Amino acid sequence: MNEKDDLSTAPTTSEHLLLFRGTDWYRDLSPDEIQTTMSQWYAWFDRLVKEGKVKAGQPLTNEGKIVSGKKGQTVADGPFTESKEAIGGYFLLRVSSFEEALAIAQQCPALEHGISVEVRPVASVCGPGKVAGHHVVEAVT
Amino acid sequence: MRGRPEYESVVAPQPEVSRLAGHLFRHETGKLVSVLTGIFGINRLQLAEDVVQEALVRALQTWPYHGIPQKPAAWLMQTAKNLALDTVRREKRFHDKQTEIEASLENWSADGADRDSPMFEDEIKDRHLRLMFACCHPLIPQDAQTALALKTLCGFSASEIANAFLTTEVAIAKRLTRARQRIQEQNIPFEIPSGEVLSARLDGVLQILYLLFNEGYKASSGENLVRKDLCHEAIRLVMSLAGHPATDQPRTHALLALMLLDGARLAARADAEGNILRLEEQDRSIWDRSMIERGIFHLGQSAAGDVLSEYHLQAGIAACHCMAPNYSSTDWPRILAHYDLWMTMNDSPVVALNRAVAVANVDGPAAGIQAVKAIPNREQLDSYYLFHAVLGEFEMQLNHFSAAVGYFQKALELTGLKSEQKFLAKRLRDCGSRGR
Repeated sequence: MNEKDDLSTAPTTSEHLLLFRGTDWYRDLSPDEIQTTMSQWYAWFDRLVKEGKVKAGQPLTNEGKIVSGKKGQTVADGPFTESKEAIGGYFLLRVSSFEEALAIAQQCPALEHGISVEVRPVASVCGPGKVAGHHVVEAVT
Repeated sequence: MRGRPEYESVVAPQPEVSRLAGHLFRHETGKLVSVLTGIFGINRLQLAEDVVQEALVRALQTWPYHGIPQKPAAWLMQTAKNLALDTVRREKRFHDKQTEIEASLENWSADGADRDSPMFEDEIKDRHLRLMFACCHPLIPQDAQTALALKTLCGFSASEIANAFLTTEVAIAKRLTRARQRIQEQNIPFEIPSGEVLSARLDGVLQILYLLFNEGYKASSGENLVRKDLCHEAIRLVMSLAGHPATDQPRTHALLALMLLDGARLAARADAEGNILRLEEQDRSIWDRSMIERGIFHLGQSAAGDVLSEYHLQAGIAACHCMAPNYSSTDWPRILAHYDLWMTMNDSPVVALNRAVAVANVDGPAAGIQAVKAIPNREQLDSYYLFHAVLGEFEMQLNHFSAAVGYFQKALELTGLKSEQKFLAKRLRDCGSRGR
């Protein structure tokens, strides 16, 4: 994650991606804990939707492949199951600032069970964003 | 202008949050494990548990985004079924039985489409009872039986069980492993016993549920919510026994009555800060009237037949307390009569100690002390904090404050529970202020 200083000097986009990392945190939960977490998460998501802050949000299944190699010739099974790093789902938020997205991420009800939430501003190509623009250039060259 | 197409919002309109019943997942777990165990076989209990856990995890992965399905229980059951089919097709050990198991899973789906059909509900109840009898089989050590019952029938996690029994998660995991090994080694059957065996086996099941309840009851004073859950789970399981023709026996109703009549008073046993309140200090207006009514109903049911069990007497004692509008109108002579009868069935010094309290209420604290002194095998109570606490109360009522202090201090040394320690510390302070 970028330093906060970088972000506050750069104009923030209105869209942010929350990536929920970890597909192993729920393995040892009891049915009661699963139900509680699930209900809390749904209530959280539902509230954000009603407030008009969610543009998209979906879970990802644990199946999938990773394609790499110069011609995409390497297709490997992804380590998506029972992994601390794998992404289990995402929210695409439309909020006024990075800080707001960050505050929303901090409300994730699964944090207490060990999930981590990555907060990433969505880069706007046509926008004047210095930081974001820089990253895009780096990625294409 | 944006760098990518402005696509339609992919967020589907959300249905209204359909509130899930309090412990839906916990209770569905017990049902689903029962059904799957019937299909996989009792020696694959762990597999059934794993499949059910996976079904719950699937719900956790998707419901938070897509909303709670219209029929959450049916969703879980369908998912568990699909996962079970995958497992059977994937695992070599099922190859010889694959067709049979697949057929039974398919069959389940046909019934599952119409979950309200009484046949299907009956079948689930039947399997749940079979699992109860398997978990409470006498060939499994008793402490492992209670742990296994909580795990498989009530969907408690090892850490929740550890919490309820004030022990470590590792210790509970060991007990569970031992229980599952015993089931395999001893070929413990997945069935409701019949004929002559049924009576003895039912006693075993009732005893385990009684233990579960007491474990929760004796210290559920607000500092530990899981323990309160134990009481409610025990009640739920006895209710399913009472509702099944094979186990609908007078003593089943007696145990249920006892649990309901004691459980009704749970909330009043501590104040808002979690301090233990004595019976005479309790706010009777918060006793759960509907539980008391149900308890009295089952006490009536328990009177059928000519068998008098210890549960009958305890339920009778609880009923005396529940029916008294206030402490001073408690029918102590009747309670004492119940204890006298109970003593003829059970020579436990703990029963005798409780009887001594009834004696003191009928004939005064000095008689209470005499009754304590007359307890056979009294030395067994020496490490029991309540033994000393009871003597402390009697001495205090006799204004023997220094003797009372000695007993309360001894009791204080013997309990590890914060709520009990606080209670005894308060009694010590009372002695100090009144003895001056």
